Amino acid sequence: MITPNIDEKDKRRIRDIVQDFARKHSLWVLAYGTGCGAIEIPPTMTSRYDAERFGIRGAATPRQADVLLITGYLSTKTLKRVIRTYEQMQDPKYVIGFGSCTINGGMYWDSYNTINALDRYLPVDVYINGCMPRPEAVIQGFIKLQNLIAEGKGNGADKYKENLEWYRENQKKIIHNWEMPDYNW
Amino acid sequence: MISITGILGITFGAALLTFLLHHLVPKLRNIVAILAIGATGYIAWQLPIDSYLLHFTVGSFDIVLGNSAYSQLFAILVAVLGLFALIYSHDFMAGKERLGYYYMNFLISLGGMYGIVYSQDLISLFFFWEIMTWSSFMLVIYCCKDAQKVGLKYFVFSAIGAYAILIALVLIYSSLGSVTFIKVFTGFSSMSFGVQLSSIILLLVGFGVKAAIMPLHVWAPAAYSRSPLAFTAVFSGALSKMGVFGIGIVLFKFTSESGYFSYVQTTLAWIGALTALLATLYAVFQTDARKLLAYSSVSQLGYIIVGLAVGTPMSITAALFLVILHGAFKAILFFATGAVYYRTGSTDMNEVTGLIRKMPFTFFSALLGIIAVSGVPPLGGFISKWLLYESLIENNNYFLIIVVFAASTAAFLYLYRFIFSFWLGQEEKEFVDVKEVPWTMKGPMVILALFTLVTGLYPGLLLAPISKAVAYLGVSGVSYETSVLFNSWGNKIDMNNVIAMITVVFVSAFIFLSIKNRKRTRYVTTKDIHTSGEIPKENENLTYKLDFYKPFERALGNLLKPSVDKIYNRIASNLEQAFDHLRYIYTGNGQTYAMYVVVFLVILILFSELIFGVKL
Amino acid sequence: MELNWIKIAGFILTPIIAFVVGVTYGGIVRNITARVQNRFGPPPWQNLFDIIKLYSKKTAINHGWMQHLGPAFAITASITSLFFIPILRDSEMFSLLSFNGDLIFLLYMMVFGALGMALGVGQTGNPNAAIGVSRGLSQMVGYEIPFVLALVAIMIQYQTTNLNDILSAQSQFTDWIIFQNPFAFIAGMLALLGMMGYAPFDVVFAPAELASGPPSEFGGKYLALMQTSGSIFAFAKLTLFADLFLGGAENFGILVIKTFAIYMFPVFVGVVNPRFRTEQSIQFFWKWPTAFGILAIIMVAW
Repeated sequence: MITPNIDEKDKRRIRDIVQDFARKHSLWVLAYGTGCGAIEIPPTMTSRYDAERFGIRGAATPRQADVLLITGYLSTKTLKRVIRTYEQMQDPKYVIGFGSCTINGGMYWDSYNTINALDRYLPVDVYINGCMPRPEAVIQGFIKLQNLIAEGKGNGADKYKENLEWYRENQKKIIHNWEMPDYNW
Repeated sequence: MISITGILGITFGAALLTFLLHHLVPKLRNIVAILAIGATGYIAWQLPIDSYLLHFTVGSFDIVLGNSAYSQLFAILVAVLGLFALIYSHDFMAGKERLGYYYMNFLISLGGMYGIVYSQDLISLFFFWEIMTWSSFMLVIYCCKDAQKVGLKYFVFSAIGAYAILIALVLIYSSLGSVTFIKVFTGFSSMSFGVQLSSIILLLVGFGVKAAIMPLHVWAPAAYSRSPLAFTAVFSGALSKMGVFGIGIVLFKFTSESGYFSYVQTTLAWIGALTALLATLYAVFQTDARKLLAYSSVSQLGYIIVGLAVGTPMSITAALFLVILHGAFKAILFFATGAVYYRTGSTDMNEVTGLIRKMPFTFFSALLGIIAVSGVPPLGGFISKWLLYESLIENNNYFLIIVVFAASTAAFLYLYRFIFSFWLGQEEKEFVDVKEVPWTMKGPMVILALFTLVTGLYPGLLLAPISKAVAYLGVSGVSYETSVLFNSWGNKIDMNNVIAMITVVFVSAFIFLSIKNRKRTRYVTTKDIHTSGEIPKENENLTYKLDFYKPFERALGNLLKPSVDKIYNRIASNLEQAFDHLRYIYTGNGQTYAMYVVVFLVILILFSELIFGVKL
Repeated sequence: MELNWIKIAGFILTPIIAFVVGVTYGGIVRNITARVQNRFGPPPWQNLFDIIKLYSKKTAINHGWMQHLGPAFAITASITSLFFIPILRDSEMFSLLSFNGDLIFLLYMMVFGALGMALGVGQTGNPNAAIGVSRGLSQMVGYEIPFVLALVAIMIQYQTTNLNDILSAQSQFTDWIIFQNPFAFIAGMLALLGMMGYAPFDVVFAPAELASGPPSEFGGKYLALMQTSGSIFAFAKLTLFADLFLGGAENFGILVIKTFAIYMFPVFVGVVNPRFRTEQSIQFFWKWPTAFGILAIIMVAW
């Protein structure tokens, strides 16, 4: 079985330092706008705020991507597809919760259709609050993610694998037509 | 027993024997056929070269049968392909009806081919040519009633070709008084210009029908797709090469000092190049695998004709190399299609997908076949393409090389379509219990695939007999070593280095890929793809099938609209209408015919003085 | 068999140099694109970080052994083509195997990688990938025609098919083929536009249109190997063009200058152009580039 834990208390080896340096300087974001917060992504990526300076680039498919941006609210219909996409990505992968809706439900906190706390369904590494956050805030969120990776703390994927039953229980409680394949890592 | 009578006797005797055995002891039938062809193959290999082994006179005609290096090459091609096809038919045709008829005609066509390559005079050539045509026609119409129309088209075109040969034969006989090859080769330049030109053109038309040169190729796509797939391997691998055999003899042994010969060669080269290009473009848009392979055969024959027509030593070597190699890889591809047909019942590329995990051996052989057809190193197809291009460049045929190269690049399209449609792509629920084919069908495919690999690595092994055949045609050979090829400017290509480099890099890349993260590499099914988060259902097959090359079709525009087939159909229907007018006289009514007889007798009696000179 | 240590050093150093130079060129191109779009862009070594990140992915997914082998085919073709091109003229270490192969072999070797990768892509079962491959193959029929015309013109003019002879015929500045046969140069450069895969001929790997086409199901070590092979292959193609038209180079400094100069042409055309549809790109290649190629041959034949 696979046990890719990196124990933070141990001294990190040179190999991990080099790898994390490369991972932090080349973040490929899946080009997927899940909610209305996605309107702030094009200004971040283009000429004025230029996220490509930091190595952040768009990726077309989840097989090629590192970072999944949950931009804004997540309806239950979208949640099923997001979970499927998240499971198609390859380790190490990071989730950034974008906007207030991912933290506590935001503007849609009492809607029958959206979820209130993203952390119950997917392991989130960094939250960026705001409704919506300006491009400077987005870039600051990415820099926080880069610092996390450089310290060796970017292991949300491992957290997902270890607590898979808990996450699945939460997901199945809210998604009623669960017809997804079962992954075994 | 080591003689030409031995070969012909064994083949035709075995044909009769298998037909009888089918009705008496069916189990022995296949074994007898396979042993017979194996024996004739061995004899063909052992036969001494340059010997006239049969010579007798019938009436005032000399019948001469003999061997030469050129004949031996083609004879071994026929023997090997026939043997593999018979081994393949053992399982492929098991359980079908009228098998005695099938095996008898198969063996008779092989016997006809042996006769053609060993004949040293035009009459026996014509005789065996007709036997071969007739028996292969019987096999084309074997399967079902609607194959009869297709067979009729094949027969009409073959008849046109055969009669062209006959007329040429009559012309030569009336000029020279004999039709043995010795007399014709030496006496050809002494015939009048008109007789020379017309006999050459008639012979080229006659042989060209079998070699499927445009515009005489229209029988080929339909006939190749209707005959049983085990026989089609021999049909396109060996039978069409009989036309090439004849064209080689016409172009190089009928020597003449007049200047018109270079015009004939140039025209033939351009016809060959255009055949290659146009047939490739037709093949790109086919959806039935058999028709695709049929057009592919026509285009490869176009390459061979170009090689022969250009006439330099290297180009003839390239043409003969491609003759052998084309037999091998076309047989692999037809056998693979047959394997798919055997297990799934269909050769439509829009229906069958995703068989790679079920039929790995078939996939591997078809993969090597594809790589060989396209001419990619390090397999044998590259050697023949290299020789052909080098000879065209040296001979300053600039524009010919562009047409041939365009055909070669467009060949990648239909080859990729062929292997993608059947083996790659998503797996269909309908074919979930398809198994691999039995060893009698796998064996020939794998052996031929390994053969293409070996000829790529050691081309010198095949170039030795080819150089002798080229020498028979009167042209000096090309310099080579076992693994190195040279052209006349001194540039070389060393296949040892190529294979070494490819192997080293490929193996290291493979080891790297397999070892890195070995425990954390997962295999997922083809349903787990990026479909924007959706999950394809079990009955949805998302393979890209229809209109696979629509952009290419749009780019070509109206290039493929005119079709020779339509012209022939229009001529045929016009002739039918014209002949319909004869119904006024040829009514089919018995009373009218009786009246004709009476009228004829009355005229005879009334005008007996004028006609006979006596008064009745 | 005695080992020629100089040659073996050449064999080992050449892919490394090709990789480093190819990756740096990729990064510089991203920088140039960014400057044209009035922003700063990533540092020039950004592509190297991308490839190291892809190599350090912890899991990998494949759809079967043919997809597993696809990148191996691609890198085999890249490195083998590299070995048959003389990198530096008159150098024993860096002429590698170029005496044992010629231009026709190179033409086919460059297709070997694309074919292998297409087979690997086919097994993924993704329809976007298959569409990408069919477009790529159709486009290849387009740009190969003027390329072959240019090569044939050069081969006939110098009566050789070996690159070393073509190099030694360009000993002086005025002997460069760019001056001796300018139509071949124009046809070759227009074909290079198609070969490099920048706009307007990048419909094969279009991210927004086709979900990136063929590499859509490749990730982790597979994508890393494919990008490595892409960088090496780009360097091989540029060196081939430098040898053919600009007289090769005696040392690596001049080689970098010449290849970079050639590379700027597709990059600058790509940075300002939109994308052609597949049939438009095929028809483009069959018009003016082919006309220049035919002119090149006619100029030689007379």
